[in-house]
Amino acid sequence: MTARGDAGRRTVDAPGRNAFVYRPTASPQEAANWTPRQVAMTNFRTVLGRAYPRVSGLFREKSWVFFEILLPFLATSAFVFVYRALEAPPQYIGFVVLGGAMTAFWLNVIWMMAQQLWWEKSQGNLELYFAAPMHIMAVLFGMAFGGFVMSSTRAAAVLVVATAVYGVSFSVDQWALLIGVFLLTLAALYGLGMMLASLFLMWGREAWHLTQLLVEPVYFVSGLNFPIARLGVLGSVAISILPLAVGLDAMRQLAFAGSAYPAGTPAPAIEAGILVAMVVVFIVLSRWTLAILERRARSEGRLSVRWQ
Amino acid sequence: MSGTGQPDPRPANAQPLAIDVRGIRRVYKVKPKPVVALDGVDLAVEPGEFFGLLGPNGAGKTTLIKILTTLLLPSEGTARIFGFDVERQTKQIRRIMNMVAGGEQSGYGILTVREQLWMFSQFYGLPTRDGWNRVDELIDAVGLDEQREQRVSTLSTGQRQKMNFARGLLNDPWIFFLDEPTLGLDVAAARSVRELILAWKAAVPGRTVLLTTHYMAEADELCDRIAIVDHGRILALGTPEELKKRVQRESVFRIELDRLDGGVGALRRLPGVVNAALAVGDQATTADDRQTVEVNLALVDDAALGDVVGALGGLGAHILALRKSEPSLEDVFVELVGRGFDEVVRDGPDPDRRDHHDRPTGGDRGATDEAREREIEVVG
Amino acid sequence: MTAVDPALRPDAPGLASPAWGGFDPARTRGRGWIDIRHSFVTAVRLGWKMEANWTDPLLFFIYSVAKPLASALILVVMLDVISGGAKPEYRAFVVVGSALWSFVLSGMSGLAWMILDDRERYRMLKYLYVSPSDFLAVMFGRGVARIGVGAMGASITLAVGVVFLRVPFEIGRIDWPLLLAVMTLGLTSILAIGLLLAAICMQTRQESWSYPEAAAGALFLISGVVFPLSVLPLPVQSLGLLTPLTWWVEGIRHALFPGGVTAIGGPGSLYTRLSGAPSPTSGEIVVVLLATGAVATLAAVAVFRSSDRRAKDRGLLDQTTGS
Repeated sequence: MTARGDAGRRTVDAPGRNAFVYRPTASPQEAANWTPRQVAMTNFRTVLGRAYPRVSGLFREKSWVFFEILLPFLATSAFVFVYRALEAPPQYIGFVVLGGAMTAFWLNVIWMMAQQLWWEKSQGNLELYFAAPMHIMAVLFGMAFGGFVMSSTRAAAVLVVATAVYGVSFSVDQWALLIGVFLLTLAALYGLGMMLASLFLMWGREAWHLTQLLVEPVYFVSGLNFPIARLGVLGSVAISILPLAVGLDAMRQLAFAGSAYPAGTPAPAIEAGILVAMVVVFIVLSRWTLAILERRARSEGRLSVRWQ
Repeated sequence: MSGTGQPDPRPANAQPLAIDVRGIRRVYKVKPKPVVALDGVDLAVEPGEFFGLLGPNGAGKTTLIKILTTLLLPSEGTARIFGFDVERQTKQIRRIMNMVAGGEQSGYGILTVREQLWMFSQFYGLPTRDGWNRVDELIDAVGLDEQREQRVSTLSTGQRQKMNFARGLLNDPWIFFLDEPTLGLDVAAARSVRELILAWKAAVPGRTVLLTTHYMAEADELCDRIAIVDHGRILALGTPEELKKRVQRESVFRIELDRLDGGVGALRRLPGVVNAALAVGDQATTADDRQTVEVNLALVDDAALGDVVGALGGLGAHILALRKSEPSLEDVFVELVGRGFDEVVRDGPDPDRRDHHDRPTGGDRGATDEAREREIEVVG
Repeated sequence: MTAVDPALRPDAPGLASPAWGGFDPARTRGRGWIDIRHSFVTAVRLGWKMEANWTDPLLFFIYSVAKPLASALILVVMLDVISGGAKPEYRAFVVVGSALWSFVLSGMSGLAWMILDDRERYRMLKYLYVSPSDFLAVMFGRGVARIGVGAMGASITLAVGVVFLRVPFEIGRIDWPLLLAVMTLGLTSILAIGLLLAAICMQTRQESWSYPEAAAGALFLISGVVFPLSVLPLPVQSLGLLTPLTWWVEGIRHALFPGGVTAIGGPGSLYTRLSGAPSPTSGEIVVVLLATGAVATLAAVAVFRSSDRRAKDRGLLDQTTGS
């Protein structure tokens, strides 16, 4: 029997080697007891493995280039022209462009993560995931990582093209803080996505509808196209619970440091602290909710019933 | 009616049972009334055994396998896989087991067979290069070499099931759960999957398999021991031969003779013959148009056959053909439940039919006689 | 000799089983428009059962209140941020546009999601396809059901706009004939665009759920929904004038708010440059909507037929495409 390497090369024949056997152990107990390193490496490999279909899908079916990049750019442009029609100050164009770019990550979280476990159940993959030894959070990380490739392409395209076409000028004083806030926003978004994934798994078909609730209403309360300070108390509440709201506000303050920014929201450093807290809370909560809800799903037999 | 029902009498330092199920009960709370899918099941499967759960749809087979594969919690009772509890030690179990179900449509259609399997190899912690190598070996082993770079969405049902089988072997499991693996496959594909299962078992004889099926012949062919399940209970447990002996104590042969002077009465008087009857409607003819006689013979045991053959010579009869008639597992099921598999499928599970679960599982002589006479009646 | 039951005679019309036990060709004859209407009505009923959420408060809230209202409020706040509430006529402009966009989103997503839902989730697409029902009629039926959901959202948004956001509105000034004509033609155009998207989704992956929203977002730019076309560069304005949705939104505004702000005309607009008029008349709106809608419908049907052929050729109708 021959073997092929991962580059498709033929390797040396291994006559007599039992193709069915892989790293045999003396007993099932030995096979079952993994070291922490084995656990960690399995979860790490799971992230990469689960990201693989997402990334390969991008190259095999390319309609997303039109629908996920060009059209969203046009949608963002619509709001740019609203401000132009109103003869708004130029930094408002920048607010819209930045908001349009961050939309990409939010949509990735709600469409590609939050309801993904429910989708996996209806495809019949979920029970295979739960029957395998990796942690389900690694699967979700993998989905997020795979979807991140498309989202970041979309965000970059909107940001770069819109900036060039509409003449947006950024004025950044604290690059490190800006990059840090951006990364923290992503981490918090994906942590929230993981938590939503477990909740949506239990809510079944309602998950689809709840995802819809998280589009325009979240755009509104997050101040996607306007400074969130304008929403008063509602804006403050949003900043404390929605990563998109607090991250976007902080990035706007940092990206347009030289221009007048409506007062009423915390300073970027404080908002970065809020994001750190969100990351911790969401990841801890998501681990907890996934564990609880896995147990509930096993108890009620929901891991493999497609119609629920 | 249960499998063991007794504490494991083995020494403390012995290898734990591959599957140790005690008093498992599973109730689904559905409307209009709860469904009892498993109703007090006890089961003990030794390491290295090929064990079958045989029963009609709705018997509780899949529910039990989902409990054992940690996908479902029991309502009551305990279950262990190699000593690991299915409720609390799921991680350990998931590292040493794998499962393949029939009719699986899982997977990502956009990936090729090779990629799909590699992705799953990562879920089991195989290093990247090892994963690709193992995937290629398993693809060769299951006979999907030509479909290696084909997208999963383009596979036929049989090919997809082979791919699922390869997926199930990626982590070289100590225990392999097969839930109706040939469901929906054509004859050739089903045979191919069964051969793969046997090849794997032969290659790694220490591994354990739990197979659920409602195909009698499949259970008969593959399993060392079988539990017959219906309405959430194990009705009988044993090797295929032991189970068949429940309905047929005697050895039944069908014999074709060139002539039979003295008729079946002469045969009945032969030593070792319990009963003899003509096979009605089977008046065969030889190549030169001579009439032959086909007879069903029930003997006390196989050993009596030699004497009967000798005695037939004394009657002036020449044996043209001889074959043994054995009861099928469906006969066993009918004996236990009172209906055939098809009838159960047609009529659906009847929660009120509890009386059959209380029937003695040993079966009595009268029932055996009835089954025997029924067979002879059918053919004679 | 006994008389033969007329239903059993070999030449009996309809679906009678022939006495001679052979194939009854009557079964292969459809009933033309009756069957199409039957397919359409059945699909509307099915779509209504699946989509209608009147009895589920959560779903009603999401689709008929939260989503459309949030979209409108985004624009109202943008307006107020800049103008400080000084331009109530613009507030009416954006609220009406945003409310109407519920129809667009519902209609477009209805057909596209029907393809994705039935193919990926319910695995029923192939069964619908091989049934004798007219597939286009079934698709339109499901799309119409979803438009009903959008209609409720639009109504609620308008009502909130009038009651809470001080949108000036007088029911006595509504031009009902124009409203009826424009709604009929406009909804047909929306369904046509939805059909175009559905044709695309027949070829794409499961992840195409977001495509209708993306497409609606792009059309948002050129349809004069929330700002006058005159703000756009001239070449882009020309695209807007060729889009039936632009004329539909304009027509609804004319009908509900006669004399209000025009999205198509005005200083600097391509329309005014070409026609010399400050804004289109009701008759012009209906005629152009009819023409652009007809072109859109024909193009959509042609694209759909082509996509249908390609899907059959490549076996896409029963694939699942998750990643």
